Amino acid sequence: MTFEWSILIALAGAVVARPVSSVLGRHTGWAISLIPLFIFVSIFLHVAQVAGGEVLFAQLSWVPSLGVELAFRLDGFSLLFALLITGIGTLVTIYAGAYFAEKPSGELGRFLSLIMLFMTAMLGTVLSDNLIVMFVFWELTSLASFLLIGFDGHKEAARKSALQSLIVTGGGGLVLFAGLVVIGMTLGTFSFTEVLARSDELVASPWAGMIAVLIMIGAFTKSAQFPFHFWLPNAMAAPTPASAYLHSATMVKLGVFLLARFDAVFAEMPAYGHTLVVVGSLTMIVSALQALRAEGFKAVLAQSTVASLGILVMLIGLTGEVAAVATVGFILAHALYKAALFFCAGTAIHATGEASLGKLGGLARFLPVTAVAAVLASLSMAGLPPFVGFISKEYLFEAQLSSDWNVVPVAIAVLVNAVMVGVAGVVSIRPFYFKPERVSKVHHGETAGLLIGPMLLAAGGILIGLVPAPAAQWLIGPAASALYGQPIDVSFSLWHGLTPMLFLSALVVFIGALIVIKWTQIHTALKSFDHAYGFLGDRFYHGALNGVLGAARISTRLLQNGDQHRYTTIVLLTVIAGLVIAFFAAPSGDFLAGEGDIRISVALVLALTVIGAIATILVRSLIASLVSVGIVGFGSAVIFMLNGAPDLALTQIAVETLIVILMTAVLLRLPSRTRHSRTVSERRRDGLIAGGFAAAMFVALASIGVTPVDLRLSEYFGETSYLEAYGRNVVNVILVDYRAIDTLGEIAVVAIATIAAWGLLRGAIKPLRTKE
Amino acid sequence: MSVIFSTMSRLFFVLMLVASIYMLFRGHNEPGGGFIGGLFAALAFALLALADSVAAARKALIVHPVVLIGCGLFLAFLSGLPGLFSDGSFLTHWWAELGSTHLGTATIFDIGVFMVVIGGVLALVFRFYEGVEQ
Repeated sequence: MTFEWSILIALAGAVVARPVSSVLGRHTGWAISLIPLFIFVSIFLHVAQVAGGEVLFAQLSWVPSLGVELAFRLDGFSLLFALLITGIGTLVTIYAGAYFAEKPSGELGRFLSLIMLFMTAMLGTVLSDNLIVMFVFWELTSLASFLLIGFDGHKEAARKSALQSLIVTGGGGLVLFAGLVVIGMTLGTFSFTEVLARSDELVASPWAGMIAVLIMIGAFTKSAQFPFHFWLPNAMAAPTPASAYLHSATMVKLGVFLLARFDAVFAEMPAYGHTLVVVGSLTMIVSALQALRAEGFKAVLAQSTVASLGILVMLIGLTGEVAAVATVGFILAHALYKAALFFCAGTAIHATGEASLGKLGGLARFLPVTAVAAVLASLSMAGLPPFVGFISKEYLFEAQLSSDWNVVPVAIAVLVNAVMVGVAGVVSIRPFYFKPERVSKVHHGETAGLLIGPMLLAAGGILIGLVPAPAAQWLIGPAASALYGQPIDVSFSLWHGLTPMLFLSALVVFIGALIVIKWTQIHTALKSFDHAYGFLGDRFYHGALNGVLGAARISTRLLQNGDQHRYTTIVLLTVIAGLVIAFFAAPSGDFLAGEGDIRISVALVLALTVIGAIATILVRSLIASLVSVGIVGFGSAVIFMLNGAPDLALTQIAVETLIVILMTAVLLRLPSRTRHSRTVSERRRDGLIAGGFAAAMFVALASIGVTPVDLRLSEYFGETSYLEAYGRNVVNVILVDYRAIDTLGEIAVVAIATIAAWGLLRGAIKPLRTKE
Repeated sequence: MSVIFSTMSRLFFVLMLVASIYMLFRGHNEPGGGFIGGLFAALAFALLALADSVAAARKALIVHPVVLIGCGLFLAFLSGLPGLFSDGSFLTHWWAELGSTHLGTATIFDIGVFMVVIGGVLALVFRFYEGVEQ
């Protein structure tokens, strides 16, 4: 089996999750977890091949006319991501099965279906070699994230956070799309492999700066970089298994993934790396401060995730092969410990029903294994030996020290990592070991499904730390080589000797320990500056959103005020204005070019419709005005017929008849004679507008003859309609054959509009019933 | 409604329905087609609803108008698939020659249009009448 089928298998998982849940109930998690496990194993089988420097390709044709192929690429970097996606995905499905054990099984089925849909999208994004295909999957991850954050749709906070994440990441996705399209226009290809090979050409083009900015904005929104950092902590409204999976281990790293991929393309553009270092550092500072202020268990973890993403963005901005190794090592280490910590947080919140750190304590009595897993994972997060987090942090400092940057990023990294140590200590020690009086009993204990995820991940963290060689050789090395563009010999080891990096690590741990001890004081001190931090949160987002909604409200009140006179006036005045502009823009004397003889039959019918129109205005009886309008309508049908358009005439007749039948139903309900509802001055104004409209339309129609009609298309259809489509009625042949896909689109629009109006009519009729 | 109108409407209903199907099938060569035929058929049912009752018209239609919309859209979509598989081009129609007449997937497409139009018009007309009947 080739690797691209894994995407389809994950999609099949999304389809079957719900039906399976109705059969297996609470065991669904275990059953569904076999799917990601299978994909994990099948991708794992490629490890040796990829580590040998091979890049695997697969291709299916999709839209060849636009240069869009379903092309996939498996190199070291996408292999690492695919393994993280499916490996952690396996644990998430098992954990979700246990997490939703007390909920109705339909809820679990829905959740797992969304998780598998997300897995499909993630795999598609990291494996795609075609930029457009990658973008489609990229947007699908945003949609899956939206659905998962809003999973508890009955809660307002969940709905708001879901919408916020969709607006930020979806909006960023559009910016990214613009960047990808410009790449396609500049190089004439959407194949990433080819873009990489022709990166000199891209960087030399005048569009290079714009492309870099657009791609960076897309990536920053997805990976919650400053100033788009605010959506990720709010995304914690999602059920915890989703937070562990999407909003820590995988999806939020897509921005990092993209920036890392394009780092090789923009290697010759120093501004790209510099921007990343600056934005990453800013994000680190902001989120470190926010982490110290946060109160919820998940909120603290979410802020530290934003800080970690900032570290990754900064690392990508640094040059050199050490930076590539540091990036990959940190992605792996972070995914392992952060997902484990989220699992532990989920178990604690699930057991107590409390989400605030200030109300949790002494949980180790009730959740002993979870407490151990939390401590192990947080030691890796704190970067203590012998965990993988220690090695990745050593590389981080080495990458910084060997770059040509000054001391500022190093200082920021030391402080932010110290906060991470503090967070690690606080989230593992305090809820599980301190203040046992806070929690006296728990609703749910530990079950096997709740334990396997955190234990495996925490054990993985220590195992890779103790025996780093296999991971370095098979995973980190190939991934870093794929990023760097040349093979890197990775010597990933626990002990590097007495280096400056070791000194910085010790400093980090020392400051971090101080933060753990003084946590409450720092927390309270920072909380008292609440209003000063307003600009760090989502105030700008709310300002922009409220501005848009306000503008929509004002324009609705102006244009859609419920008064039919207003609507008609606006439409007529717009048409008049458009035509007047056209008259003045046209070369002088180029209108009113009517020619040919007056046809008596047409003139007679027209005169009749004019009489009908005038009668409509003058008569006061409802039935008489209905008849007069009918004269105008049927008169138009006759004119169509006289001008050789029998199809149009038939349609017009059918519609006119339908109006009569519809109006007959309401005739009995309405007063048969009506009085004017408009004052004399209003009627004068109406008359003026109507007269102006008539005059403008007359001049416009009479000027149509000026431009000679291009008959080539009509002639082509006339000649070929019977030969190629076996029909003599050209109108119908165009509808069902030549332009059938347009017709399909049109009937789809008719269907959607009708169903919408049908729903509205139901709403409008109900209050009528209650009134009577 | 009067007895005469009610009785005549049954006759008209059948005649208009036959006419609409005639319109649908002759459409490829002479004025007509799925759209016009659909409008005529919708008129027949609307007339029945007016003369008798909406319930009677709904019963005569058998399926719900919205179901008809969905089925029509799906049928039109399906009619494009054979071309996709044989020529790699969606909605390139297949044709079979039966003596002097040609039959093809284009007719199936037009039947889809026909159903969407009937369903779309009647979904609204029935609702509207029910609102008035209250």
